[in-house]
Amino acid sequence: MKFRFEVIPSLCIGCRTCELACAFTHSRDKKPGRSRIYPIAYADDKYVPVVCLQCDDAACAKSCMFDAIHRNEETGAMEIDQERCVKCMACVAACPYGCALVDDIHDEIVKCDLCEGTPACVQFCPTKALVYRRL
Amino acid sequence: MLLAVIRRQGIDIPALCHHEAIEPTGNCRLCTVEITRENWGGWKKYVTSCLYPVEEGLIVNTHSEPVMQIRRTILDLQLANCPNAELIQELAAEYGIHETSYEKQPEGDNCIMCYACTRICEVLGCSAISPVNRGHDKVISGPFGEAPPDCIGCLACAQICPTDVIPWSDKDGVRTIWDKKFDLVACKKCGKTIITREFADFLIERRKLPREYFNICDDCKRQELADKMGGIISQAEEAAL
Repeated sequence: MKFRFEVIPSLCIGCRTCELACAFTHSRDKKPGRSRIYPIAYADDKYVPVVCLQCDDAACAKSCMFDAIHRNEETGAMEIDQERCVKCMACVAACPYGCALVDDIHDEIVKCDLCEGTPACVQFCPTKALVYRRL
Repeated sequence: MLLAVIRRQGIDIPALCHHEAIEPTGNCRLCTVEITRENWGGWKKYVTSCLYPVEEGLIVNTHSEPVMQIRRTILDLQLANCPNAELIQELAAEYGIHETSYEKQPEGDNCIMCYACTRICEVLGCSAISPVNRGHDKVISGPFGEAPPDCIGCLACAQICPTDVIPWSDKDGVRTIWDKKFDLVACKKCGKTIITREFADFLIERRKLPREYFNICDDCKRQELADKMGGIISQAEEAAL
């Protein structure tokens, strides 16, 4: 893996700009997709941006019976091959961090794909709580 | 295969039984194309592109008049077989057929016999359903026309079905498919259901996933992760003070 996606929760102000950036980046047919990143409050006005951790031994890929989830060696992201996915929801149920999601708008199972190397959430985060850098 | 190359070139040809997750079998025959070679002296051959390997020097015609005629005949027959299938109606209209010229099947159930459901069940490793009987009595069903004992209620068959004919329902934490009832795994925190108990057990056994991954739903898992990370941050902040 050549890149690392870092989340710095202490800088997150819960403005949800990342959610908007993500949804619009993944829009298709003039409809925004479901956001793959969620700033979730753990205490009063304190947030953690929850996003796919791109695990080494990823439960989503292990649970997929149709071999539809693979790691993109270039970006390090686990990506869902929509052509192979049959929407059985195994990855949604298996992901220990709940980061494989159902996109009702486009009728797809989605997860963070790191925007093929240029994550939109990182570019839009006003407080730099999200960092994507080369190792 | 030829179909992948044709689609990659942006040429739209219909294929109903094709899916990347299953082996091609050429059941629907709609992806038929005309092939020839320079040294064939004008001879042509009609093949299903999902099954035909790509070769050097192959000349492919995807929309010649005989090919269109073949597709029109298939769609005409399918329209008689399942007059209520929306997908077939739309495709047939695209090819200029609005009414079938054959006798409509009175009790058509919209199944086009593409076997996508049985093939995906095979890929999964269950092979719970299969074609039963022969000729026009042929149906997709469990063994002996009963509820399939090996079915785990994963819904792959219903999701892959091009004409959407496999009935299923999720109601009050119970999934019904192929006349079989399954308990859905309810989230221990909020009660949200995602997959069936049988499918979860199947994944735990076959893919060696820990059982605790299936205890709570994705929404609660995200909240739990935030709480866990928040706890670490709070501890660090206290230590810094």
